[in-house]
Amino acid sequence: MDLKEKVVFNERIGHPVQGLYKLVLSGEAAKTARPGQFLHIQVTDTSDPLLRRPLSIAGIDPERGEVTIYYRIKGKGTELLSRIPADQYLSVLGPLGTGFSIPREGELLLIAGGIGMFPLFSVIQAAQKVPVKIKVLWGGENKDFLDSADLNLLLQKGLDVELSTLDGSFGEKGLVTALLEKHLALGSTQELLHGGLLQAAACGPNGMLKAVAGICLNGDVPLEVSLEERMACGVGACLGCVCTVRAENGGLKRKRVCKEGPVMNGQEVVWDADI
Amino acid sequence: MQTFNLETDLAGLKLKNPVITASGTYGFGEAYAPFYEPSVLGGITVKGITPLKRLGNPVPRLAETPSGLLNSVGLENPGLEAFLKSYLPQLASLDTAVIVNISGFSLEDYALMASSFQRGCGIAALEVNISCPNIKHGGMAFGTDPKSAEEVIAAVRKKTDLPLIAKLSPNVTDIAAMAKAVESGGADIISLINTLLGMQIDLNTQKPVLANTMGGLSGPAVRPVAVRMVYQVYQAVKLPVIGMGGISTWQDAVEFMLAGASAVSIGTANFGNPLAPVEILEGIQAYGNQRGYQSVREIVGLAHGQKG
Repeated sequence: MDLKEKVVFNERIGHPVQGLYKLVLSGEAAKTARPGQFLHIQVTDTSDPLLRRPLSIAGIDPERGEVTIYYRIKGKGTELLSRIPADQYLSVLGPLGTGFSIPREGELLLIAGGIGMFPLFSVIQAAQKVPVKIKVLWGGENKDFLDSADLNLLLQKGLDVELSTLDGSFGEKGLVTALLEKHLALGSTQELLHGGLLQAAACGPNGMLKAVAGICLNGDVPLEVSLEERMACGVGACLGCVCTVRAENGGLKRKRVCKEGPVMNGQEVVWDADI
Repeated sequence: MQTFNLETDLAGLKLKNPVITASGTYGFGEAYAPFYEPSVLGGITVKGITPLKRLGNPVPRLAETPSGLLNSVGLENPGLEAFLKSYLPQLASLDTAVIVNISGFSLEDYALMASSFQRGCGIAALEVNISCPNIKHGGMAFGTDPKSAEEVIAAVRKKTDLPLIAKLSPNVTDIAAMAKAVESGGADIISLINTLLGMQIDLNTQKPVLANTMGGLSGPAVRPVAVRMVYQVYQAVKLPVIGMGGISTWQDAVEFMLAGASAVSIGTANFGNPLAPVEILEGIQAYGNQRGYQSVREIVGLAHGQKG
């Protein structure tokens, strides 16, 4: 759980304006990591920034002993991380949190908003090892983002992928939720659904996840979501990163995104809870 | 050969060593168990308990600042009854001093909770939180007025025979006056500091980062304030002091002991380095050995010269 992982690769990918990086770590984490889990990475030996950075696992290679992570530079922590060269060792806690469940048959519908695609890369990796049909719906800001965020890797796998961009520079113009509504209206999907053979997994901004959860609820599609929240300890001690969920008795309760999540039942989460 | 005796005695609360974990940073003893045995520590302080279950404040509850952390968790906890039933038995089985932190919104709340904890119930001491900045009523309101602080401690004192630790807020102008007040109220030990009230504003949204607007600042950024207050309280009262506030290395811990702390508590440092308490303990031991001290008690308050 308290690991020293060797940096194998840590470089910017795609267009510089997107600020996207790919990090490959070699060590023990790959032995036990599951799709949807995260690593809590220390980016500096000093006290500023004070906290580790929780980053989702995007690829797991137990044979090579490597995990892959994608990240975007957002602040001081990720900026410092981007400067760490290959062959250096990083202090890493993990793999932490719950993972996505991978069905054994039927269709797995993946819905991603922006960099929310990255944790779903690890889901695809696992789902490709079982006889399940994978359908990917991915919405991004523009073509430059999708290209930079390794869209080609996804296409090379021969997956069924539908894309949308906000500016219409690639795929459908608009939000990924429109792709989802259209897909769920298809006849073939209805048959899978009634046979209990359709399930969905989503990751992206909270507003998108809320909309996805609403659409999936209307369509009776089981949904798992990967949540993001400001995190301190990563192990369930500080109660900083909670989300609100519906309790069995109909009341509300908190769950820790780092411990009970980051993957949660999409219908359980109370979105926009201001309590 | 190690001759340095790490045992410490805080007015009858005997600890095998002076390193404790701070309330709200260690869960109920389970969160860091995968990293090391809690029994290596002198004690652990569990998450603050209130009479009824609390969901705490909305998110975001955290904001990172230069060498510090703002939180507005707001005392999320399962409530007294669930704590006694679901958490206490496991905690009582740990081979370390378990300190339960209690918080409330009225004198009656504090008294009610205190009456549920007596010697033999499996815990070593009660820490009375009169210093939480993240709840609107109670908490810090009790801890910033000497008269209220004395009353709360006196009310709790009547209801339990356990050693009583009064946890003080740094959000006051005269910490010595607060220390004297809780001494008069019947506290056995003083712990300080709780977090400093602070806030952060996002330049993009132009709004406070924390959903609760303000929160408690902890981490290395607050350490000099905490050292100063431990130093002042050591001079003001006879009660032993548990020092905390930004301790992340053994050097920090020794500094607090020199200022007058008989034990130290590790809080925010746990988040970045789960092994911080263990490393701090090893460092204190090495310091004592190298300097040729017989006991950890010899170090306490040395920065004051001859006390009294």
